[in-house]
Amino acid sequence: MSELESWLRQATRGLASESVARVRSEIREHYESAYESAVQNGSAADEADRLAVVALGDAGTANCQYRNVLLTSAEDRLLRESNWETRALCSRPWLKKTLVAVPVVLLWSSVALFFTGPIDAARILLAAGIALGLMIIGPLMPLYTPRRARIFRTIKNVALAAALLIAFGSDSLKYSWLLVSCAWPMIWSEMTRVSIRRKLPIAQWPKQLYL
Amino acid sequence: MNFKGTLPTLILEALEREPSHGYRIAQGIKERSKGVLDYKEGTLYPALHKLETDGLVESYEGIEKGRPRRYYRITKPGRAILAEDRAEWRRVSRAVTVILGEA
Repeated sequence: MSELESWLRQATRGLASESVARVRSEIREHYESAYESAVQNGSAADEADRLAVVALGDAGTANCQYRNVLLTSAEDRLLRESNWETRALCSRPWLKKTLVAVPVVLLWSSVALFFTGPIDAARILLAAGIALGLMIIGPLMPLYTPRRARIFRTIKNVALAAALLIAFGSDSLKYSWLLVSCAWPMIWSEMTRVSIRRKLPIAQWPKQLYL
Repeated sequence: MNFKGTLPTLILEALEREPSHGYRIAQGIKERSKGVLDYKEGTLYPALHKLETDGLVESYEGIEKGRPRRYYRITKPGRAILAEDRAEWRRVSRAVTVILGEA
């Protein structure tokens, strides 16, 4: 394996295939120019190759910097695979109506239970209605600007936290370990989305990044 | 020698002169600073990608010596940021000069 190939392998580790292709192409262009320049300055082929690779610097440092600005394979996977719910919801009117009806029914049931008897059940239904409603209403809202999206996400996060407090009441702290471990996949995907938002120009954001 | 955080500004300055590709930008910075600013060339591209994501530069395909190359050019917001960075740098450098000059 040539020195350049080894440098490229290390520098592109963990990046999405599209990012890898771009890095490889630009670094190869750069290497060719550096190599030609070294040969023109009188270096032998081996020496020119070595100088051109050394000038690129440490591949590990470059990898860290590329990971900060280009999509990693995990981010690319999230971007490709987590959009099906939104697409399914928006492309099937019957599904849209059915799913919107579910949180409405839950909220009405919680109100009914609140006045007729079991308060605990009413509380759980209210929390479920809020959480489900927020999940379903996002893709249906006109969230096409980063500002609107930020406002929606803030409201969503506050309402989700409130829903959990309503559901668990005074036991929230006691069950916090359960909440954190159950919510971890959601927290991880939200953190990944934050990272993707930083890396993709706003013009290229798919709908899911606004939610 | 290397000043952390100055690379994006230096790239913008190089692109304000003329659209260019990565290798020429790196060589331009090295030559114009007479070798004082010697950034590792592998770190230039992540900085260029960040500037592109932020809309401060844009890239396009060009041809040099019969080979396709990715060129970069500065955008209008990029020029505005460069003007701000220049003013900030002058202010900081004057302050540092005053302090070091007194020593």
